[in-house]
Amino acid sequence: MIKALLRIVARRLFAIVPVFAVVTVLVFAALRILPVDPAQMSLPPSATIEQVEAKREEMGLNKPIWQQYALWARRAVAGDLGESAQYRMPTAKVVLERLPATIELAMCALVFAVVVGVAGGILLFTVRGTALESLGMALTSVVMALPDFLLALLFILVFGVMLPLFPVNGRLDPGLEVPSHTGFLLLDSLLTGDVSIVASAISHIALPVMALGLAFSPTIVRVLHSSLINTYQQSYIRQARLRGLSDREILFGQALKNAILPVVILVGTQFGGLFGGTLLVEMIFSFPGLGNLMVKAMQTADLSVIMAIALIYCAVTLLFNSLADAAAYLLNPKLRTA
Amino acid sequence: MRIWSWLSDPGLVIGGAIAGLVLACAVCAPWLAPYHPNDQDLLYILAPPVWAPDGAAEHLLGTDSLGRDTLSRLIFGARTAMEVAVAASFGAMALGAVLAHLAGYFGGRVDWLISRLVEIWLSFPPVVLSMLLIIGLGVGTDKVILAIVLVDWTRFCRVLRSEVQVVRGQDYVSFARLVGFAHMRVIVREIFPATLPMLITLFSLQMGISVVVEAILSFVAMGVPADVPAWGQMIADARINMFDAPWGLALPILAIFVTVLSFNLFGDGLRRVLDPRHRANGHV
Repeated sequence: MIKALLRIVARRLFAIVPVFAVVTVLVFAALRILPVDPAQMSLPPSATIEQVEAKREEMGLNKPIWQQYALWARRAVAGDLGESAQYRMPTAKVVLERLPATIELAMCALVFAVVVGVAGGILLFTVRGTALESLGMALTSVVMALPDFLLALLFILVFGVMLPLFPVNGRLDPGLEVPSHTGFLLLDSLLTGDVSIVASAISHIALPVMALGLAFSPTIVRVLHSSLINTYQQSYIRQARLRGLSDREILFGQALKNAILPVVILVGTQFGGLFGGTLLVEMIFSFPGLGNLMVKAMQTADLSVIMAIALIYCAVTLLFNSLADAAAYLLNPKLRTA
Repeated sequence: MRIWSWLSDPGLVIGGAIAGLVLACAVCAPWLAPYHPNDQDLLYILAPPVWAPDGAAEHLLGTDSLGRDTLSRLIFGARTAMEVAVAASFGAMALGAVLAHLAGYFGGRVDWLISRLVEIWLSFPPVVLSMLLIIGLGVGTDKVILAIVLVDWTRFCRVLRSEVQVVRGQDYVSFARLVGFAHMRVIVREIFPATLPMLITLFSLQMGISVVVEAILSFVAMGVPADVPAWGQMIADARINMFDAPWGLALPILAIFVTVLSFNLFGDGLRRVLDPRHRANGHV
């Protein structure tokens, strides 16, 4: 069983390799069309023409574009993603430093979205046929019209300006410092054992998490709600009722584990949207992660950083797609035999 | 009969009415707006709306940090938003629909190629792809439109492709082929009318998405040029002074929210009244 499971996951993961390879070619080509000279960007403005020319030679910019790509790919596989023009440091280092913050943010937001979405979907289903259901549906329409970056700004306006309950900048109160063991601030602050530090970290991440998570949740509510309605039309639910199971037993023991399948697929396919949302939400909250770095890199045309982060965003999106695929496959016996 | 059933759908009516109002604002902006959107009134800087304690009747919704009239900028912002949304949604629809019809109708290698293309596109988070495109294309209203078309055609292509596959299996399409009609004619005259309801629904939903993308790009100064009023840009300007003038931030957010909500309600309503599965007498 476990072997079969691993084989399924491995096959899905393997399938994304060619897609990702094409993505790297596309991003590379798109960034090379730009009227920006990466050699000049990576040198101080006082560099002489000869120095720029030498740098161009070193970076392989005088070769045809497909050779440049081959060079980039060979270095990238070895972990060398070039040098950030903005920070004058290896791009891989700049990017990896900020990766944990974004992963932490995105994962917390995902958990928040799924908890709110699943709870909301079940709640909306249990009140089906009443006015509360229509009210709940209307509420999902309202939240759906508020994309993550607008929610972020609204939260700042409400919880930062009007009733200042939460901090709206960064990851920790100024003056606090946490030794980095894992890079994940929530974990590291737990490791210090200091309650005030943990509280500070949580209060800083709360609003960005809520903005990203809440924007994603109404879709989950709607999908789970309609999936539960479909599931309840199946004959086994009627049989369970005839066997004398209570409503609660039917919902949580029988229906939910089948009705959840479309939610799993939804989360996998739409995760890219949530993850992409970190771009603006991090910028709005000055949260020092990849998204914030990406916006800065875009404004300063820091090409190697843009390329590296764009590829991370794509890789994570692909990864979630294929994991959702594999999960759907495992959850649904019908897909397995087909 | 049909019209009556449409009017009894509250989402469709309310969404359509508000969306129509926003479009009307966009078209009539120069006549509706009390001031030119870039005119500066230096006597009123960061003025609050008229209902606030220090509000002035000269500027109903207040002014921004440069003394520009918020109401006028909102109205002209609607013009920018609608200009981008209509053109971009139409472009994305055209590109997505053509590819979807080709893929769904011909199947085989054409379908394989187009499906792989969609797959590659979907591995980009949409925000990341649109920003990457703007970096490559440069800023400007036409560039924003092009970026949205190049990002969002997949939304149409994915949904319509499976719709085309279903329609293609219908008897009347096979008959049309048997009678000897050319592929082009079958696609345009037999299949396209059947996918049209879905297309219109997706268009309305895409209007909302386009408004959001335009706002995002303007917000990070990668959208329309600085002298063109846009809601995203108003948000970015107002964010700096949000502690002194919270209304300046709240109003453009409200404008985006109401516009997106109206197009979503209208689109969902269209889906309910246009979906063949909800209709009694089958296909067109």
